[in-house]
Amino acid sequence: MGMRVLFARSKLLVIGLAILLFLVLVALFQPLINKLLIGDIDPITMGSFDSYLDPSPQHWLGTDRWGRDWMAQLVLGLRYSLVIGALAGSVATLIGVIFGFIAGYKGGMVDSTLRTFTDMILVIPSWPILVTLAAYIRGLSIPTMALLLALFSWPWGMRAIRSQVLSLRSQPYVDLAKVSNLRDLEIIFTELVPNLLPYLGVSLASATVGAILAETGLELIGLGPGGDIITLGLMINFSLGWGALALGKVELVFPPVLCLILIFVSLNMINMGLEEAFNPRLKRVTGG
Amino acid sequence: MKKRAILAYILKRILLYIFTIWGAFTIAFLFFHMVPGDPIAAYVRSMQQRGRTISGGENLGQEYRKMMGLDGPLYVQYLHYLENVVLRFNLGPSFIGFPTPAEKHIFLALPWTIGLLGIATLIAWILGFALGGLVGWKRDSPTSSLLTNLSLVISQIPPYFIALALLFIFAYTLLWLPRRGAFDAAIPKGFTWAFIKSVIRYGTLPALSLVIFALFGWVISTRSIVVSILGEDYLVYAKAKGLTGGKILRAYVLRNAMLPQVTGLALSLGFVLNGALLVEILFNYPGLGSLFRDAIGMLDYNTVQGIMLMSIVAVLTATLLIDLLLPLVDPRVAREGKT
Repeated sequence: MGMRVLFARSKLLVIGLAILLFLVLVALFQPLINKLLIGDIDPITMGSFDSYLDPSPQHWLGTDRWGRDWMAQLVLGLRYSLVIGALAGSVATLIGVIFGFIAGYKGGMVDSTLRTFTDMILVIPSWPILVTLAAYIRGLSIPTMALLLALFSWPWGMRAIRSQVLSLRSQPYVDLAKVSNLRDLEIIFTELVPNLLPYLGVSLASATVGAILAETGLELIGLGPGGDIITLGLMINFSLGWGALALGKVELVFPPVLCLILIFVSLNMINMGLEEAFNPRLKRVTGG
Repeated sequence: MKKRAILAYILKRILLYIFTIWGAFTIAFLFFHMVPGDPIAAYVRSMQQRGRTISGGENLGQEYRKMMGLDGPLYVQYLHYLENVVLRFNLGPSFIGFPTPAEKHIFLALPWTIGLLGIATLIAWILGFALGGLVGWKRDSPTSSLLTNLSLVISQIPPYFIALALLFIFAYTLLWLPRRGAFDAAIPKGFTWAFIKSVIRYGTLPALSLVIFALFGWVISTRSIVVSILGEDYLVYAKAKGLTGGKILRAYVLRNAMLPQVTGLALSLGFVLNGALLVEILFNYPGLGSLFRDAIGMLDYNTVQGIMLMSIVAVLTATLLIDLLLPLVDPRVAREGKT
């Protein structure tokens, strides 16, 4: 299916992708944007400006307690949050796909064992475990963090892929491939994978949302990666810690919140849009 | 025959319930104990960092390890823990308020969380199901599509963020509602009207943020189920039979939409709990969330592990109850003896 057909089928997908593309471009061009905003100053150097300046043409969102331009930090935070989310989301999707494939394709005992295991992971409140691990391993590096986040966000993707493989497996063309003595891997890659691509997209989007959400939660109770890594969650944590709500400094608290909401909403729109486009029966269901 | 099928179904569900609790907890236990580094050493270190000197730290660590059941190889620790929990319901001493046993802290916090979560989840589900049913039923009206698009956005906003906005508006700007806590400390605790009123007042904002988030999620999922039911053959038949709109909505549409949504309720509980913990922390609500924050701050192993176990049991018990109630909503489940 061509991209154009796909877009024509779902308005949601178009809007979601547009928002996400915008955010990714901002994150990609962060160094350039930083230069435009505050010149050659590092956004996390303390005391670059006066503290708690109100928003102005020079400082769109004002400055924070430590005299740093909040807008420049917002762009940097967006970059880190997206990197962590994308990394964790990809790893989670990979794990989910592997388990989902094996369960759906092999069926029988393998399937029910893997499914029970997945259901157990689903009922474990993942966020408390993450917090505990983060509390013992202080100062997580970004890859470690992403890996930990991924360990808990794969089950949803696994379920989607599994049920899809299960229904694809009984399609006549797969039977034909089996009869004609193709090897399992060959069947998987030539017959199944192309049909699963939209579900990979769905799985990637939801795992990324889960990871960014969990990372934000860690930051909110002060257990983020630390060091010089500014994420959107850390910015919220900082501003609340400074009592920004009581000071009435909304411009410190809510921009990172809005950024995160934009990420979540756009990814979810992509999610629903993909389902809408590939499952035309659902058209009108999501109301796009 | 029918009775036996129902009994078999119940028995099967209960066995699966016990097995899943055991499995989920074992996975959680292994995660905890695979953490590189030594929790006791980390605790002693963090105490020293706070400027408290601990004399004979090494011996003390050894004693602590024994007391917390953290000595010996992993499988011994595991069996030891299981034995203590299952046979004596003993979660071990806590660090916060040492040597009060961890289960005492948890039992003090649990009612607040269950109350807050239970009420919020129930309100959200009922309102969301009703609203979603209506939005799906009238799917072609402009109000309906506006509500749908609104729900698409709001259902993606984590409850913590909703709480931040509510907190800013109602507690910091308008000064209508309190900012933190669960009751007015000036009023003596007890089943008096004054105390209950203060509990409701303090609980409004945390509950509202959980309700708003969950409600719009239910609107979306109920709507999509209702819309897909509207396309079914039996509905065309019902219309052809000349049934009125209201009768069709109640007897065919909502009845059939109820089942997947009740199951969805069970599945959502774990996720709801994750979000609720953060909201509790934000409002300093004295439930599991705040206990968890305190326990993490002190690296209190037993309490954290106890909270994990508690939430696993809570989520699974709710799931079990819903599964057992399902046959009442849908006789097909009981007849087949499986979900």
